Amino acid sequence: MYLLEHDAKVLAALFDIPAPPGALFGEALPPGPWVVKGQVAAGGRGKAGAIRKAADVAELEGHARAIAAMSVRGQPVRAVRIEQNVGPTHEAYVALLLEPASGAVRVLMSGSGGVDVEHQAGLRAELAPLDALDDAVRRAGDGLPPALTGAGLRLARMFRACEALLIEINPLFIRADGSWLAGDMKLITDDNALYRQPALRALVERAGAAYPEVRLKLDHGFDYVVVDPEGDIGLLTTGAGLSMMLIDELRARGLKPYNFLDVRTGGMRGDPTRLIRVLEWIAAGPNIRVVLVNIFAGITHLGEFARLLLQARAAVPQLTVPFVVRLVGTAFEEAEQILGAAGIAVTTELEQAVAQL
Amino acid sequence: MIDRATPVLVQGMTGRAGRMHTRLMRAYGTNIVAGVSPRPEPVDGVPVFASCAEAVAATGATASVAFVGADALLGAIRDALGAGITLIVTPTEGMPVHDALAALAAVRAAGARWIGASTPGMAVPGEAKLGFLPEVALAPGPVGIMSKSGTLSYEVGYRLVQRGLGQSVWVGVGGDPVKGTRYADLLPFFAADARTRALVIIGEIGGSEEEELAAALGAARFAKPVFALVAGRSAREGVTMGHAGAMVHGSVGSWASKQTALEAAGARVFGAVADLVDAVVAAA
Repeated sequence: MYLLEHDAKVLAALFDIPAPPGALFGEALPPGPWVVKGQVAAGGRGKAGAIRKAADVAELEGHARAIAAMSVRGQPVRAVRIEQNVGPTHEAYVALLLEPASGAVRVLMSGSGGVDVEHQAGLRAELAPLDALDDAVRRAGDGLPPALTGAGLRLARMFRACEALLIEINPLFIRADGSWLAGDMKLITDDNALYRQPALRALVERAGAAYPEVRLKLDHGFDYVVVDPEGDIGLLTTGAGLSMMLIDELRARGLKPYNFLDVRTGGMRGDPTRLIRVLEWIAAGPNIRVVLVNIFAGITHLGEFARLLLQARAAVPQLTVPFVVRLVGTAFEEAEQILGAAGIAVTTELEQAVAQL
Repeated sequence: MIDRATPVLVQGMTGRAGRMHTRLMRAYGTNIVAGVSPRPEPVDGVPVFASCAEAVAATGATASVAFVGADALLGAIRDALGAGITLIVTPTEGMPVHDALAALAAVRAAGARWIGASTPGMAVPGEAKLGFLPEVALAPGPVGIMSKSGTLSYEVGYRLVQRGLGQSVWVGVGGDPVKGTRYADLLPFFAADARTRALVIIGEIGGSEEEELAAALGAARFAKPVFALVAGRSAREGVTMGHAGAMVHGSVGSWASKQTALEAAGARVFGAVADLVDAVVAAA
């Protein structure tokens, strides 16, 4: 999960990683002057105008309201952080980044920060396994201002403790006296480890609206994302890759899918609750005109699935649109008969189903 | 890699998934010789042991499929490695990434091969399957398949089989960012495998695995035709869609990045299943 800057900084404070005094807009203000920062899990906030300076409270409130209404790279601003503008400092860069191919962590440091720091000539890079991170931080920081090694060692501790995939401070503010602060912070943690990360779990439970996909997975055990609130095709699909591909293909044909879903038919065990939940969410889409069901199941008994689907449909009477159903797997004929009796035609070929949308 | 003689043990055999998939793998022809479970009672006549070491000592198993929970997976992999197992397939979804790092280090130290996690498994059609690739999509043939996604690979395999093209070896490398076997790791195998005449890669946005494969294709001067299907072309930055590895940050892991790298290495890249299937059939 890609944490909002504010949440990352609050978490980092537990690891003695300081940031400029800050609070969410609406809470008690830190001392001015200020930087008003839109909170969104995407890069490019500065260029998009979602980070602005303010000298007085009227200016601050104007910026905060404007930024709160923005989107950056297609994502709505979830909150606004008001932070004290700590004035001119030296800016540096430090990051720890998991490298899946090598199974190790990359330590990156530079004596100067900035938006394109990853491409700078002076960038230091060291690769180390998780249990030798501290030595890699010391090697990378050798000859650079001591603040970089100091920050890097605390980041290494946080990286292990939070089971992070990426932590980046850019810029790292270094004051004349050598003390340092995290100017900006990017933190990506492992959703799979959430069950044993109480601080992160509490964050998702507290600020769930900012992390809707993670919250949903935590609460329901499957993945669902509204990909286009204006979309008119609800998807009841299983399998992450196939569902993603289906969205691509529908869009390439000029169609407008509403949601992504990996419903995991294998985990339903005779209970329609999960399907009911999904159909309720789809029914909430203002433009839904059809539901496409696509289940390619190696194991799932399609007869059972068909019965559950009809139970779920009956439980969501507000969803009155037609269903287009494509099924492959065990007991197809039984499913075809059950759904056919309810007036729903079934095909085994996805292209045929898509042609009916 | 595997064949009908390969002796296989199933970790977690007495659980719901373990029992079901043991039955289905045996029906396909896989030589399941032992199970491992804290409740060591036989399943369908297959002896079950308390540890991999006991199972290997009694049966000579060399490969393992583990149906255990995500929180128990690292321990199961260590148990298998400690018993001398050389091929471990782990379908489990949701393995914590830092556990996967530890498992990968252990697997490398032992010189074993680990496929997974978050994989439907692997198959040599007509010989054996480890995991639960669906039979409707399996048939012996000339196409090697490597896939990050289970369901999307089923769709591709199914349509290719309908068009008369089966598989030589099918490996689901899985959708996790840190995993036992990556596309590029299998390239030397597919280059040398005489049954494989074309390679189908089923990828998705996120991570750099497709780009790593592109680099390896160039370096190895891989001579067989390569067809790649990449899902997630229309996904938003910063949003995970199902697979932990499928998230784009900046330009890293984007569809365009993968397309550029793979095409530069001589592969053909597709954004729709039907287009890929048509191209593979036309080239066969």
